[in-house]
Parts: sequence; C-alpha cells; structure tokens
Amino acid sequence: MIIMLLVLPLLSALLMLLWPRVAPLLALFSASSSSLLALQLLVQVTEHGSRSWLLAGWPSGLAIAWQADTLSCLLILLTTVLQLLVGFYAFATRNRDKLSQGFWPLSSLLQVSLTALWLSRDLFNLYVCLELLGLVAVALVSLSGRSAMKPALNYLLLSLFGSLCYLLGVVLLYGRYGLLDIAGLASQWQADWLSNSALLLMSLGLMLKAALWPLHAWLPAAHAAAPAPVSALLSALVVKGPLFILSLLWLQLASVQQAQAIAPLFAAAGLAALLFGGWSALRTPFAKNLVAYSTVAQLGYVTLALGLMLKFDQPLIFAALWLFVLAHALAKAACFLAVGEMSATLGGKRLTTLKGASQTMPLAMFAFAVAGGSLIGLPPSGGFVAKWALLQGLWLQGELLFWPLALVLATLLSAAYVFRVVVVAFDRADPVSPDFSPQLIPQWLALLPALAVWAMALFSETLMQLLRLEAL
Amino acid sequence: MSAFWLTYLPVAIILSSLLPGLIIFTLKEQQVKLRISLNLLGVTVKLVLVLIMWQAVKAGDIFYFSLPFLPGADLVLQGDALSLLFVVLSSVLWLATTVYAIGYLENSPLRSRFFGYFSLCVSATVGLALSGNLVSFLLFYELLTLATFPLVVHRGTPQSLAAGRRYLAYTLSGGVLLLTGIALLHSVVQSPQFIPGGYVSAAVSEHAGLLTLAFALMIGGLGVKAALLPLHGWLPQAMVAPAPVSALLHAVAVVKAGAFGIIRLVYDVFGVDGMQQLQLAQPLMLLAAATILFGSWRALAQQDIKRRLAYSTISQVSYITVGVAMLGPLAAVGGLVHLVHQGVMKITLFFCAGNYAETLGVHKIRELNGAGRRMPLTSAAFTLAALGMIGIPPTAGFISKWYLGLGAVATDNSLMLMVFVLSGLLNAGYFLPIVYRLWFLPQRGSWPKEQRLSATLETHWMLLLPMLFTAVLIILMGLFASTGVSPLSWAQLIVEREFSYD
Amino acid sequence: MTELSGSLLLFLITAASLVAAGVYGFIIGPEPLRRILALNIISAGIFMLMVVLAYRGYDGEATADPVLQALVLTGLVVAVSATAFGLTLLARLKPSSSEISAPEEPEQ
Repeated sequence: MIIMLLVLPLLSALLMLLWPRVAPLLALFSASSSSLLALQLLVQVTEHGSRSWLLAGWPSGLAIAWQADTLSCLLILLTTVLQLLVGFYAFATRNRDKLSQGFWPLSSLLQVSLTALWLSRDLFNLYVCLELLGLVAVALVSLSGRSAMKPALNYLLLSLFGSLCYLLGVVLLYGRYGLLDIAGLASQWQADWLSNSALLLMSLGLMLKAALWPLHAWLPAAHAAAPAPVSALLSALVVKGPLFILSLLWLQLASVQQAQAIAPLFAAAGLAALLFGGWSALRTPFAKNLVAYSTVAQLGYVTLALGLMLKFDQPLIFAALWLFVLAHALAKAACFLAVGEMSATLGGKRLTTLKGASQTMPLAMFAFAVAGGSLIGLPPSGGFVAKWALLQGLWLQGELLFWPLALVLATLLSAAYVFRVVVVAFDRADPVSPDFSPQLIPQWLALLPALAVWAMALFSETLMQLLRLEAL
Repeated sequence: MSAFWLTYLPVAIILSSLLPGLIIFTLKEQQVKLRISLNLLGVTVKLVLVLIMWQAVKAGDIFYFSLPFLPGADLVLQGDALSLLFVVLSSVLWLATTVYAIGYLENSPLRSRFFGYFSLCVSATVGLALSGNLVSFLLFYELLTLATFPLVVHRGTPQSLAAGRRYLAYTLSGGVLLLTGIALLHSVVQSPQFIPGGYVSAAVSEHAGLLTLAFALMIGGLGVKAALLPLHGWLPQAMVAPAPVSALLHAVAVVKAGAFGIIRLVYDVFGVDGMQQLQLAQPLMLLAAATILFGSWRALAQQDIKRRLAYSTISQVSYITVGVAMLGPLAAVGGLVHLVHQGVMKITLFFCAGNYAETLGVHKIRELNGAGRRMPLTSAAFTLAALGMIGIPPTAGFISKWYLGLGAVATDNSLMLMVFVLSGLLNAGYFLPIVYRLWFLPQRGSWPKEQRLSATLETHWMLLLPMLFTAVLIILMGLFASTGVSPLSWAQLIVEREFSYD
Repeated sequence: MTELSGSLLLFLITAASLVAAGVYGFIIGPEPLRRILALNIISAGIFMLMVVLAYRGYDGEATADPVLQALVLTGLVVAVSATAFGLTLLARLKPSSSEISAPEEPEQ
C-alpha cells in the first residue's frame, strides 16, 4: 500500500507526459485514489502502531530506512487531499486561467516527493526528496510565465544552496559515524564539534528552504508570482517538508544539551518571524503578497513551537507544533485559492481591487475570512486548537508570562492583517466590478479547506491524543 | 416529551435561527417574500422551543448537551435558569427587531446578506446564553464578534468602515484577553460546567495569584463588549450602523453578551465565596460604578440622538455589573432583572431614534422640537422608555433600580447608593430635555428629510408595531412585576438557586 | 575522522577550498549565471569530500566505501539536472529582462 502511494502518482506523472490530453483526469484519479490509500494507511497505523522497514530487504546501513508513523500518515493524508482539492480547482479554472499543461505532471511529482519525504528516515534519501521537491516547486512557480522567471530563478538558487548546505552536513555526519539512517545515528550520537557543525549546517540549509526567519526573503516573491493553485500547494505543503526534516534532526538526533542550546534561537526566530511577517503583511499593497507574508508569520508559530518543544520536551507542545502545520496548510490553501480567484475575476493584484468583494464575490471572500479566522486562532478552528495546546503546554511548564504574551501579540497582528482584507471587501463606496461573472465552483473549492480547518476542531481531541503519543 | 427531545432542545434553539440565516444567504435579492417568511418562521419556531424549555426549567429541569472538543473542555450547551433569562430576552427582542428591520430596510440593497448575518448574530447570542462552560462561551463570544462585524459595516461608507475597524480592534483584543484568561484558568482547574457557587474554591488557597490574574484577564475581555470604562471606545462609533443593528447591539447581542459573561463568571465560575476570598468584587464594583457615572456624564454632552443613547447604554449596562458585584441576593435580583429591563427599554429608544431618522430625517437632538405632534406614538414610546431609564414608577426601570437600591442598603453600601442617586439625576438630565423638546417646544421650520411612509399612520406600520410592542412591555413588566411570569420573578428564582447551592 | 594519508589530506584541503570558494562566489555574485557556477563549485567540493571519505583507510586491497560512491553518483545526477534547470530558467529570463541593454561587465 505504501509503495502504491509512491508509485501511483509517479506512474501517472509519466503517463501524463505521454498523453497530455488526459493529464487532468489522470491527476485527479491518482490524487483521489492516493487520498483513499492514505486514509487507509492512517487507520492501519493508528490501530497497529507505526511500521518501519528497510528498502528491498538489504541489511541496515546499506538499505534506505523508511517509517510510517501517525505523524507521517497524517501528513501524507494532508498532502493527497490538498493535491486533490487543488487539482479540482485547477481543473475548474483551466480554460480561464490558461494554466500550462505542465502543471499536472509537476503536481503529481510534487506529491511523490512529499510522500517520500514524510516516509524517509534516511538522511541522504531525505536529501534527494528535498532536492526533487525544490526543483518541482521552482518549475511550478515558473509556470506563471515570464514575470515569474526572476523570483523562480532566485528561489532555485537559494533552494539549491540550502540543499547543498544540508548535503555537506550529511556527508560530515557520514564521515563521522558511517551511518545514514536516523535511528542508527541517534543510538551512536555524540555531541562533538563535528556533529555540532554538521547539525548546524543542515539546519541552516533547511531553514533557508523552509523560509524561516531570517532566511525567508525569497518566499513572498516566489509564492506571490506563482499561479493560484501553485501558491496554495507551495505555502500549504512545500515549506513544511524541510521543516519536517528539521524537527526530525533536532528532536530525534540531537542530544539534550544541543537541543537546549539551540532552543532559544529557534524560539526567538519564530517570534521574530511572527512579528516581522505580520508587520510586512500589514504594509504590502498586494493581496497575494499579504497572504505570502502571512505564511512567513505562521511559520513563525511552528518555529516557536519547535524551539519551545526543544526547551521543555512537553508532548502538548509537540502536538501544538503539528496542529499548527495542519491548520496552516488547510487555511493557507483556502486563502490562496480565494485570493487567486478574486484577483482573477476582479482583474488586479492590488489589495484595493478587492474593494466590495463581499458583494461581488461573497463566497470567495467568506472563504478567505473563514480561513483567516483559523490563522488568527479564533475558536473553534484548527488554529485555535493549536494555540490552546501551546498555551496549555507552556503553563504546564510554569512558563507564565513572556511566551503567552508573545502569542497574544502575534494573534493581534494576524487579526490585523486578515481584517485588513475583510474591511476592504466590505467597502461599498466604489466596488470594483468583475471582469466576467464570478464562477461558483472555484469559490466553493476555496471554501472547502476553510471549512475543513474549522471542522478540524471537532477532531481536536483525537488529533491531540495521536500527536502527543508520537512525542513520547 | 421524550428524553431525546430534551437533550437536543438547546441545539434546536440555536439551529432555529442559524438554519434560516444560512438559507437566507443563498437567496436572491428579489426573493423578499421567501426571505421574510423564513425569518418569521425561524422566530416563531425559536419562541415555541424557548417556551417549552422555559416550562421545563421552571419545574426544575436542566438541559444538557455536549460534544467532545478539547481535552478537559467539551462543547457544552446547558439550559438553566440564568441562561434562559438571556435566551428569552434575545428571542423576544429578535422578533421585534426582525419586524422592524424588514420595515426599515425596505428597498435597500444587500438585504439577504444583512438578514443572514442578523440571524447568525442572534444564533451566536443564544448560543452564548446556552453555553455550559467557559470554552463554549468563548467560542460563541468570538462568533458573535464575527457575525456582528458585517452588520456594523453594512452601509459600506468610509465612516462605517472606520467604525468597523475600531469595533474589531477592540473586540478582537478583548477576545484574545478572554482566551488567555480562560486558557489560564483551564490550566489551573480545567473547564467544568458552570455551576452555582463556582468551581474554583478548591484552588483558591493554592493558586490565588493565578486565579486573580485569570479573573482580571477575563473581565478585561468581557469588559470590552460590556463597555466597561477604559474599553468603551468602540460603542459610540458603532452608531453608524443601521438603526435595527444598533438596537440589537445595544439591547441584546453585543453589550449584553459582555454583561452576561460577567454574571456567569462571578456566580458560576468563581462563585460568591471565591469572589469574597479573592477580594475581587470590590474593584469590579468600583470600575462599574465609575463607568455608570462616566457614561451618564458624557451622554449629557452629546448632541446626536444615537450617540447620546450610546453613552446611556455604557452607563446603564454597568448597573448590571454593579448589581452582580455587590454579591448580595437583592442586588443580584436588581442586576439580573436590569439585564432584561434595560434591553427592552433601550431597544424601544433605538426604534424611536430610527423612526425619527427614517421618517423625518432627524438625527440631532435640537431638530426634535415639536416632533410629538407629527409622530405622537413614537414620541409617547420614547417618553415612556426615557422615564423607565430614569427609574420612574410604574415602568420596568423603576423595579430594577429599586432592587439595586435595596441591595445597596442590604449590603451596607452607601457609596453605591450615592452613585445610583447621582446617576439617576444625570439620567434625568439627559433624557428630560429631549422629552421636553418633543412635546413642549414648537417645530422649527420643516423637517430635514421628511418621507410619507404611510397614508394613515405617522410612519410605516412595521416600524411602529415593534416599538409599541416593546413600549407596552416596559409598562407591563413594571405593573405586573410581582406575578409569576415577570422577569422579576424569574430573576428571583435564579438568585434563589444561585445563593442556596449548599 | 581517523588517520588520513598525505595525498588524501591534500584532496581534503582542495575539497574544502572548493566549497569555500563556491560559497564566497554564491554570496558575492549578483549575476545569476555566476551563482549557478558557484553552486556547481560547491557541489564539486562536496563530492570530492565524499570521495576522500570513501578512500579513508583504503589499503589497496579492500574496496573503497561503496555507499559513498553510490551517493556521489546520485548527487551528480541531481546536481546536473538542477544546473540544467537553472540554466533553462536563466535563458528564459534573459530576453525579457530589462537589463538587456546594460553594458557588459568587464571580465575582472
């Protein structure tokens, strides 16, 4: 079944190159069947515990290690479902937006590389997945045409640089231990200077790729330049890949001292990302850039949670970390689809083109507002559950003032930028009239993940339970 | 009636306004009849359901419905005496306001959206009233903020957008404070159901500091909506909204949500004992007293009718808080019953203000001269409600102030007594001149923008009827205060249950 | 990192200097082509490092570490395709770029 999760999209990507005419159907088919498979896998793993195996039955050390635990399965499910949704959106708007044919095979490849990444527990294999992910992402950005070339090239260069930093770290570790799989490394881990520098190098590269503050500068341009479905995929999923590896490295490999030493740095970077990203989102005149800066800010929550997790080693904070990731992925997909839909229909990239959008395109605007509610953390959304878990985790550790206060401040900033859009949309004085009559289906598709992130709150107890167990 | 029905009754009460609201969103602008019938159907169903619940709660039942949500904090709906007080108030006034809004917004654009959010707003209010623990309360509290925002900015003019921004800035900050407070309290004692006598007393000795901090945070959050002193700034600005919205905001939904939250917090979370042990009541009471005086004082200076009413609301809502914070049973009766009485009186005043604006184009107080001749019914209702606000018998306002006064005497609180007297004088000072202008001064020139909305009546019947209905209620609640169906007797029932929990 | 023979040490130093030179070039150069080349130099350095590590402790009889050689091959494939992709993007960027009329920079 797990093999199918990898082979199916890969095969369909190849078939799409052969028969471009049926590409959309193939993509939708592969995404929907992988969603079902992913769901089945998740159920299996929650019932029977996580499964790990070595590729092709080679002995440990030579073979590539894989592991399917609850977290990986959740992330795979998220990936496939979002692929399916974005696929539908791209399908519904394919004639209007003149989306390049290249989108379909590339998005399937994106799914392959992400799925492989969530499952790998081998440093070099992770590198390959990461590199593939980066290349596919850049290719997807470049689909927008000439205007996107410059951000795409910049993205590519930084992404390659990041992967090389990571690779150098992997090589140093291999030179030191002669091992690549994470479990094996963790059992022999020693906090000497070589391991330290390797870990730092890898983190640097991953932070660059995940656009964590202060290495985020490439993200807004790249995400804003891409076509709407691509931005949704990039913000929702792609940046989470390196983040996943980062958390693997620090939570499973690093020794307690190392984790303690780096924790304040991560937490501070997260806080800075929240403040800086929120502030930039408040300032930018372009709608898509606003959403992209919001990604920078929201990644700050994740970084912050990672830092706090390293510091306190509290399962609730770990749960909060991944709840943030899940909630952000759904909410951000909805935001980008909604904003993309409104920009396309109202014909403009500036925030001011959304004037009166609550009248002209109520559904899309509603989707944005609902998703924004989760970004802010209003109850009962996924964002709220994550924030709640983080707060409870902090208080369990007796951390009363500083970090909760920081969270409050960040919440207010995110509320400010979300409602900056909403207020513009309610401006009735001089509404921008649509270039053509708004389409309903894409708007509903944008609303769907937004509703899903609110529905996430209903499963919060189960989710929290699963994720907490994962941390132990 | 089967147990199944009883469990789902609270849910049904919320859905009875939520579903029509959601359907209304999908309607086209021209489907006026369908929209109106949906609205009225929702109102009727809700009233019937509330009546059923009222009967059962009176007999001593408590409704209870829960869904798993967060670890240690389910989503709980609970129908007890206190929640029913607020539910009845909002359902009845929803009926009045719906009729009024249909008349007020006749032929204006975007009505589907308006009525959709209107129903959402009421659903959130009712949900808030029925919520059975702090986490559920928080949920509906935030939903209320979101549902009201589109109503505040409904006109879409630069002023209303500015007011909307301000409203959001205040209420969302308040929401964050409330969230922090609730989360903090949850980390200490979890979030069990609301229960008379509260549930924190076990932790008082150990975590006094944390509890005080949580209380302060939550009061800060609730105080934004209840317009307590430093946090009232959004309310006068939000007056740019259409009259039915202001009416709903002031009388039922937003402001009352804050006040209701304070009642719950004091009685059912911290409990009278907890409040006394932590010595939290005194500061809260002083803050509310300061708000009473401040609001009345500022109201004196306002020249715009709606703005004067807004400052009056700031002042009057704090009576509820004061009544609750005095921690005596009589004062509590006064505070609780004022929740209802103030709602009915204030909604009447806003209906009247809307009628003047809609029929005569009058917005300023000095333009009201002689309006009593042109619009006798409206002016009579206004006079009645104004007298009620001052506290003159036999109106409803007299009853609540009487009990508040008694409560102050019973708890030996001469300071509050002075505050009540002073504020009563100020109330008279800002209401009586209006009444005087209405009836005794001659009309100055022509009305700013007069419309003939009806051939025989002074204005459209849909604008008159709800206003007369609430005006008659003011008298009835005053005259029949001692009977078993009055808000007063219900408030006494609540207090009996709240103060005899041992 | 155990004992390295003299020639391996030389290779190691070369690899390190390649990486350093590449990083320097990447950070300094604003010109995309130059940065692509810089990335290639870095990866060359890393691959060389891998080869050095593979021959660590090699005494002429046993084979060098096969895992590392496999990794170098994989890495090369990835690096070449990434470079090709970058160059394609660059080629598409050039005609549209507004700096097309800017004078060529002198070679030094």
